[in-house]
Amino acid sequence: MATKKPEQFDRVDWSELSESRRFDLSINSIGMLVATLPLALLWLYDYQFVGEREATFQAIGLSRNLDPLDYFFVFTLFLFFFYLILPLYQNPRMTRYYWKEFRRNRPAVVSLGWLGIVFVGGLIGPLLISAPEQSILTGHQPPVFLSIDEANVANCVGEVVNGRCQGTWQHPLGTTRGGKDVFAGIVYGMTISMQIAFITTTIVAAIGITFGTVSAYAGGWVDEVMMRFVDIILSFPTFLMFLLILYIYGAGLGMFILVFSAFAWGGTARYVRSKSLSVSEEEFIKATRISGASTYRVVRKHVVPNVASSIITQLTLLIPGFLLAEAQLAFLGIGDSAVPSWGQLISAGRSDLAFAPWIVLSPGIVLFLTILAFNFIGDALLDALNPEAEAESA
Amino acid sequence: MTEEPLLSVRDLKKHYPIRKGLLNRQVGAARAVDGISFDIAPGETLGLVGESGCGKSTAATSIVRLEEPTGGEVIFNGGGRSGATRNADGTHPNDVTRFDDRELKAFRRDAQMIFQDPSSSFDPRMSVGGAVAEMLQIHGMSDRHRRRAIVEDLLERVGLSPEDYDRYPHEFSGGQKQRIALARALVLNPELIVADEPVSALDVSIQAEILDLIADLQSEFDLSLLFISHDMSVIREICDRVAVMYLGEIVEIGPTDRVFADPQHPYTEALLSAIPTPDPRSTAEGIELTGTVPSPTNPPSGCRFHTRCHRVIQPDDVDLDQSSWRGLLNLRDALAADSVDVDQIRENFRTGTDTGATPDAVKGQIRREFDLEETISSDEMESLLDAALDEALGDDLDAAAATLSERVTTPCEERVPQRTSHEPGHESACHLHERDRSAPPNPADD
Repeated sequence: MATKKPEQFDRVDWSELSESRRFDLSINSIGMLVATLPLALLWLYDYQFVGEREATFQAIGLSRNLDPLDYFFVFTLFLFFFYLILPLYQNPRMTRYYWKEFRRNRPAVVSLGWLGIVFVGGLIGPLLISAPEQSILTGHQPPVFLSIDEANVANCVGEVVNGRCQGTWQHPLGTTRGGKDVFAGIVYGMTISMQIAFITTTIVAAIGITFGTVSAYAGGWVDEVMMRFVDIILSFPTFLMFLLILYIYGAGLGMFILVFSAFAWGGTARYVRSKSLSVSEEEFIKATRISGASTYRVVRKHVVPNVASSIITQLTLLIPGFLLAEAQLAFLGIGDSAVPSWGQLISAGRSDLAFAPWIVLSPGIVLFLTILAFNFIGDALLDALNPEAEAESA
Repeated sequence: MTEEPLLSVRDLKKHYPIRKGLLNRQVGAARAVDGISFDIAPGETLGLVGESGCGKSTAATSIVRLEEPTGGEVIFNGGGRSGATRNADGTHPNDVTRFDDRELKAFRRDAQMIFQDPSSSFDPRMSVGGAVAEMLQIHGMSDRHRRRAIVEDLLERVGLSPEDYDRYPHEFSGGQKQRIALARALVLNPELIVADEPVSALDVSIQAEILDLIADLQSEFDLSLLFISHDMSVIREICDRVAVMYLGEIVEIGPTDRVFADPQHPYTEALLSAIPTPDPRSTAEGIELTGTVPSPTNPPSGCRFHTRCHRVIQPDDVDLDQSSWRGLLNLRDALAADSVDVDQIRENFRTGTDTGATPDAVKGQIRREFDLEETISSDEMESLLDAALDEALGDDLDAAAATLSERVTTPCEERVPQRTSHEPGHESACHLHERDRSAPPNPADD
């Protein structure tokens, strides 16, 4: 405002302002729209004009193909950026406060670092490292600094010392029976794990929050019916459902994510409902209602953000369950063997455990650390995202 | 009253239905607010005082229509609505209870509210500046910078600094938060502010600061204030007029200095006597209200205060000491409610002495519990009481209650008292005054 117009509350001409009903979007929503639009257009192009077996970017000479899961993953990344990361930047005061609280929990900070590696590795790793390929001749190569009896290796890439094949930097974590590089497999597995983590979280959060707040605000028999439906969801045998779908339609990673997240939001919905009920009793909700805000605005701007901080913890603790479920299914040989997940890698090495334990151990340890990291972070978030408790003691 | 009042509340009611059973049938209602009427002139402060649970806060939320009132009218003449006359069908165009969504939203700009608990009246996840600016945004101000400029200016006016805009509620003390709450109530430039116990949660020293600030802002912006409190000393400080509420009804209303100097309703007397006086030689002792606090679900008949009133009226042919009379009424009500535990009293005697409880000792104990002397001054009443106590000792409480009810009745429980006008603008609803001056029932002061 260059003009020296005195800005005082008692000099506002409301009759002029309240008549103009302009659509008032936040920067975040604008950003989200701007980012999603090209994505949607690309998907439309892919869906309409690119052949079934052609890669998406064939027209410009790239062999990279995008399947629907990738589109959804990118979409969830946008959501994550515009509604979680950007707000942290926009409210530096709150961010500093959260960080101060979060930092107290050392294991959680280390965990955050580890998840950062997995995230970045999963995002840009596949661009830098070529996908692991079958190469029977170089099967069972040991990791670097380790060695294996020559008899187990068809063709040793490194030197052979005293009848033992030495590991090389070419395959830092060794290779599987089929000669796939374990390190590359783990990096590609990071992408899969991140896809599982982001997409399931988005689906569970979207359904859970909507269902929970609607149920809390509708009340009466609507509430009753919705909560009984949640009971059904919670008691549904998801695993059997998945097997059924698997035998009838076959099931890739997308189906796994869809089925498991479609039956995992029950707990979140219940939690959101009870939390919304308690939040809506608070005086600041009354204060917002007296300002003339619509119920939608109250829910969107006050109830959901206050509920969200508590369900972030719950969601963080939900992710390890999905990762483990995927690994278990892969290990059992149920699931899409074309998906280069950690579980597939583990299952690929289970018969060679006696002489080539790295095939199971490397992805196993990575999986273990990732799950541990999610648990630690969930714990630390529970403490950090609770400013009221701190205010009371101050 | 020649001038048009800013707010005029007529027979406002808010009943909460009590539902029970499988079919959720309504079995009763808690009459939180049961027909209150008052006016607030432009620039005036009206205090609404009463003990907790008497419906003060419900009255506030019903007036601003945070809750839908069950009945009555709330006529708001501010915000360019002045000079309206009633429609042909008797409804008033400025009746808040009939506003549609658009009118209600406009009304929100003209009437705002401050809440009691500063710790929960701000969203912990929104900066306080954002919380105040949100009001502007809701009413269509989409210019972010303008919002910020207005709020920063306002924060300064309530005694904070513009830098506080980005801070979060947990970084402020209770008094500071109440200042921000005041800023939030002011930011839409209202004409009426309803303050629901705005200083009750604060330290006494901070109370004074906030009250000063409210008074300053009020005179600067010519605000009308409905100030709700249970604290008579706070009311005296800030209010021009005061309305005393008891169990959903207004029992006395009048200019603050008149009500404080010459309270007309016994309940007001009792409230006033509870204010600590700084004079150590003052002999005025607090009036202790006996009897139980009635429930708004089932309010007492007649004058609602008769179950606790220290000046409850005696029938014409009875002339007892007032405290004995109160005791008799309390005993009668307790017997009727089955809340006199004779066995327990006997038991207490047994543990004290091994002689056991003689009937006389038990009777004496009951008399002491109800502030009745060994023998009360009226022979008739004494024999009646003795007979009732005998029946009570024989474990027949109903008969005892019936015996007492024959004679121990008060006009207060039979008729609802009319409003009596003592001087212009000072009214109370008490049988004592009706008797003194059989003034014609005064229509509400419009």
